[in-house]
Amino acid sequence: MRRALVGSAVLFLTAGFAAAAQDRWLHVKVVDAAKGGESVNVNVPLDLAEKVLPTIQAEKLSHGKIKIGGEIEGVDIHALLGAIRTAGDNEFVTVNSPKQHVRVAKSRGYLLVQVRDEDQKSAKVDITVPISVVDALFSGAKDELDLVSAVRALKEHGDAQLVTVEDESSKVRIWVDSKNTSE
Amino acid sequence: MTGRFSRAKTILLGLVVGVLGLTFIAYAAGTVWVQVQDKKPGGHRILLAVPAVVITLGLKLFPAASLREASAEARPWLPAIEAAGNELAKCPDARFVEIRDPTEWVSIAKRGGSLVIDVDSVDERVHLSFPVRLVPSIVRTLEMSTPPN
Repeated sequence: MRRALVGSAVLFLTAGFAAAAQDRWLHVKVVDAAKGGESVNVNVPLDLAEKVLPTIQAEKLSHGKIKIGGEIEGVDIHALLGAIRTAGDNEFVTVNSPKQHVRVAKSRGYLLVQVRDEDQKSAKVDITVPISVVDALFSGAKDELDLVSAVRALKEHGDAQLVTVEDESSKVRIWVDSKNTSE
Repeated sequence: MTGRFSRAKTILLGLVVGVLGLTFIAYAAGTVWVQVQDKKPGGHRILLAVPAVVITLGLKLFPAASLREASAEARPWLPAIEAAGNELAKCPDARFVEIRDPTEWVSIAKRGGSLVIDVDSVDERVHLSFPVRLVPSIVRTLEMSTPPN
């Protein structure tokens, strides 16, 4: 029963991070491949997210906007995103170390973050966020993220594979499409 | 004699129409189902089916002071719950959450206008379903029972 409560909470809170287009759904799929591992599937209609988010008044979340520090470790996020927005397709960060390869780039209207781990050959992280969604997310004041605007932008964007994380024992996928199942 | 018989017929007809009307209202409002089955040998089994209209009416008849006290803590979340209820009513049937591990399976879905929560664990099986339309009306009753902050 505790899980049902957690599931309900996930359902309502995930709504905050979904986007809303006509019959568009945000999907989260987590599979733990270990023996006896857990699997989690969450399917949230983006319309639900768009309507519920502004009604949640929590410590840092209010009217669909979440408070953050204006600068993270000395980096002005808004200025950085402004620079990325105006720049053409480009590689912004490439880190090649014996243990890890990291790439941050802008390509065809998407912000891409890729991480490959050399220690675990199967470990990889791919984050692909439409620039329009990033713009919407940072469209508010300097110290806040506008989740509702991001949801609307995501809704208008169409199908998108947002996050894929894989390693030896688990797989995580977050994506948006017009299906109401994660199969 | 004929007049008395005719009046009895009218009263009977009125009763039948009344019962049919109440039955239709109860059916249209849906039913809240709660099933709990203890899987241990000799374990108990609870099955509860309550017409949603009874819950709505019951809340209205509940003592205001008790309701105010009960809903005070939930008040900050009532707008979110009401918005979710309204949006879920418009959603097609779907499974929103499914969690599975070797000992437990949890599902939260919408089926035929009801939100259905199922938990199947090693110890027990729980099934709860209620009409999605019930959510906004309960929230409104709770909101009316507590003064705004």
